[in-house]
Amino acid sequence: MNKYIASIKNLFTFKEPKPIEQFILLENACDEKQPDHDSNDNTKPDDSNKYEDTDSDKDKAKISKKLTENLKYMKRTYSIPINGDIVLREFDIVVKDKTIPAFILFYDGMTDRDVINSAILQPLMLLSNIDIKGDEKNIADFVKNHILPQNQVKVSEKYEDVINEINFGGCGIFIDGIDIAFACDVKGWEHRSVERPNSEQILRGPQEGFTEVLRINTALVRKIIKDEKLIVEDFTVGKRSKTACSLLYIKDITNEFLVAEVRRRLENINIDYLIDSGELEQLLEESSYSLVPQLMATERPDNVAAHIANGKIAVIMNGSPFALVAPVTLLELFHSPEDAYIRYPYVHLIRLVRYLGVLLSLLLPGIYIAITNFHQEMIPTDLVFAIEASREQVPFPSVVELLLMEVMFELIREAGIRIPGPIGPTLGIIGALILGQAAVAANIASPILIIIVAVTGIGSFAIPNFSLGFTFRVFRFGYIFLGALSGFLGITVGLFLQSLMFVQSKSFGIPASVPFGPKTSSKKGSERIFRLPIWKQERRADYLNTQKEKKQPKVSRKWIEDFPKKGGDQNEA
Amino acid sequence: MKHKIVFGSFEATCITIILITTQLFLNYPRIMMETAWTAAWILSLYISLVALILFVIIVKLYENFEGKDLIDLGEFVAGKAGRIIVGMIIMGFLLYITPVILREFSENIKIIGLPHSPLSFVLMFFILGMIAASYMGLEPIVRVSAIIVPVVAVGYLLIIAGSSRYFDISRITPWLGSGPYEIFIKGLPRISVFAGVLLVYLLYPFIRTKKNFKTVGYLSILFASFFFFIGVLAFSLIFQYPTGTESFLPIYQLARLVEFGRFFQRIESVFIIFWVASALLHLSILLFLTAYVFKKTFQLKYYRPLILPFALMVYTMAFFPHNLPSAIKLESYFRYFAWMITFLLPIVLLILANAIKKLKKNEEANE
Repeated sequence: MNKYIASIKNLFTFKEPKPIEQFILLENACDEKQPDHDSNDNTKPDDSNKYEDTDSDKDKAKISKKLTENLKYMKRTYSIPINGDIVLREFDIVVKDKTIPAFILFYDGMTDRDVINSAILQPLMLLSNIDIKGDEKNIADFVKNHILPQNQVKVSEKYEDVINEINFGGCGIFIDGIDIAFACDVKGWEHRSVERPNSEQILRGPQEGFTEVLRINTALVRKIIKDEKLIVEDFTVGKRSKTACSLLYIKDITNEFLVAEVRRRLENINIDYLIDSGELEQLLEESSYSLVPQLMATERPDNVAAHIANGKIAVIMNGSPFALVAPVTLLELFHSPEDAYIRYPYVHLIRLVRYLGVLLSLLLPGIYIAITNFHQEMIPTDLVFAIEASREQVPFPSVVELLLMEVMFELIREAGIRIPGPIGPTLGIIGALILGQAAVAANIASPILIIIVAVTGIGSFAIPNFSLGFTFRVFRFGYIFLGALSGFLGITVGLFLQSLMFVQSKSFGIPASVPFGPKTSSKKGSERIFRLPIWKQERRADYLNTQKEKKQPKVSRKWIEDFPKKGGDQNEA
Repeated sequence: MKHKIVFGSFEATCITIILITTQLFLNYPRIMMETAWTAAWILSLYISLVALILFVIIVKLYENFEGKDLIDLGEFVAGKAGRIIVGMIIMGFLLYITPVILREFSENIKIIGLPHSPLSFVLMFFILGMIAASYMGLEPIVRVSAIIVPVVAVGYLLIIAGSSRYFDISRITPWLGSGPYEIFIKGLPRISVFAGVLLVYLLYPFIRTKKNFKTVGYLSILFASFFFFIGVLAFSLIFQYPTGTESFLPIYQLARLVEFGRFFQRIESVFIIFWVASALLHLSILLFLTAYVFKKTFQLKYYRPLILPFALMVYTMAFFPHNLPSAIKLESYFRYFAWMITFLLPIVLLILANAIKKLKKNEEANE
């Protein structure tokens, strides 16, 4: 009981806010220093590290010289023979007339068998006999330099390092008599090849999408950018899953404070397992309660490359075909990568249609309720008759009717994603019947309302960003209620509150409503409602405070300077 | 943390414009017409000019006090007592006008769009918006204003343009209306319509530089004058003098005349959106300022706990006037005397502050 009273009291009383320093994106050359995060923030992860599992001390143990000890340790660690997919192969190496026992350890299915056979086992077991010119006394050096024809061999003194490699598709090699182990990179698991992106399809532009493999994904981006200044900084997130993540940015363009902040956040995530970039997004964002997405998830390498080239950062995670781009503004979430690829005059039409779609999906149901309940005088007389005639048989008030249909539509949308492939078309038929024919025939909904729900649905699909689509779906119901409560007054109050929310939401220190509120410099190039011709996009967005603001010179199409002269001459001749 | 919130002059100009011009949607054209009859537009231009001159003087006097608002000046002049006196005066000013404006807007919206809803219900929507905005703070309010003001301005210009086909130049003759004495002497206190300029002095610590202060002040007065002028001119070009003074909600009357073709004949309801958006902004900044000024006057650490009590006060006080005409009467008093606080108070304070500064300098020189 006391608990409830306390929580009610908490609701109404003022609590002193904790002094949290918010991240602000400063300019690189700025004298002001970033708040010293290390002093107060680093203490947190340390405290929470207390619950680290007790094995961690053992993991840091050093590799023994005795093979039997190593064998015992590894068997215990990998629960051999309970564990079915770990392969432990013992064999002998003959080095300079000595026979030395050894074993290798790898996961079946995560590694490439051919590589293990031909580049590890064969040289160690058979070719070590060959008379090799070289006078290394040390067995470790000899093995590494002469009989492991492998391109990535890591030498480690600790069990932990080898275990991490093995867990990530490597092959651990232990040899008797030396206190180090080798870890060869023989990754070879099954994965999806590069395919068309599923959720972000475009007509014009590259058709490649990210896959679940980190290195393929980073290569896809590097393939587009081809700049040695593009940094792919590696991180591991997840204490147990040790998920590999990469932070991508261009060293001499991206704001250093931004990179430092993302690095700080990535390094200070303390969880056991990380499965998908959707989880990583939630761990990186500033406010979990804000309805506005604060990172952009994209499946398209070209989209990521374009954003990185403009001075943003991207985080790619192993196991997820979605890269995260930050910081991101609301307006950018409305833009599709295709906007950059199609010709300048067409972009306006596409974007206008898209904005219209968003507006319709957000406000149309609310406005319909507001007009039919409160502002009937707005509707031209003929239309009033049409609406009234269509509603005559419907027993519900229009709000109930609308909510019923909206809920039905949301149901179909949700079920459409979950439904198994082969029965998919059935849902379409049911949906069309329920939402269309039957509801009208049964006098549950009026035909005009069906049109409204349908237009709302189509409009919501015009939003290119998946997360933002959710934002507007949630808000739509709010506007229905507000419209039903007090017509345009309620809708305007809703719009006011929504803009307050948008204006306050920040993505890595940048307000979501940039460049309108706060208004940022309208220097050429930064994206606004409409795009500029490509040769006019001379500068990177002002709000990103990049190190190099200029993207291209004032005249980027140099040929145009010579053009009139040549043309004139030709005409005269 | 103290003044970490900083915003550009564009945002500050937008919010000041809203604070000055929202009365256009209430009674401004009618007040002008009542004073100057057919010469309402001359009076509008005249008071704009006077307000601009007064502001030039204030800018000159402000020269030595960069980044200080009126309350700081009060403290500079007369110490703690000065700070509290100036703060209380401004609070009184804000607490007088906020409930009146709130009541008027709610009554008007009720009349225009929600005739069956009780007044307290309509008021509730406004007060909720105000509380939410004030809780989020100055920065979001100012940023939202940067988005909303251009949209409202376009809507307003559309109303004027849409009603332009009813213009008749003969309606503003005789040119001098009620006569030069009435316009230029008796109409002088009407500079109180620029009461919103007070915001510029209070925002000075946030916009920081002298240059911004000047830009925000001049631009907002100029833009407001322009909107006032075209509003009054359009109103007097359409409604003749005696009829016009009896018109309820002048700009709404203009909006009712707007029609685009045969199909869109009654779109004035759409303008409710502009009405309410500007009213919400106006009222939010007033409520925020009330709490902020209180906090600053009594040197409190937080302003947020003050919002709810002040909101409750404003909500209750909005019911004090018996009806809409008495609320309008209260506003017209305000529009007659507010110049004392917007222009007289800063000028007096600044003269005193300059004098004290000089005295101090002389003393230092003597020592």
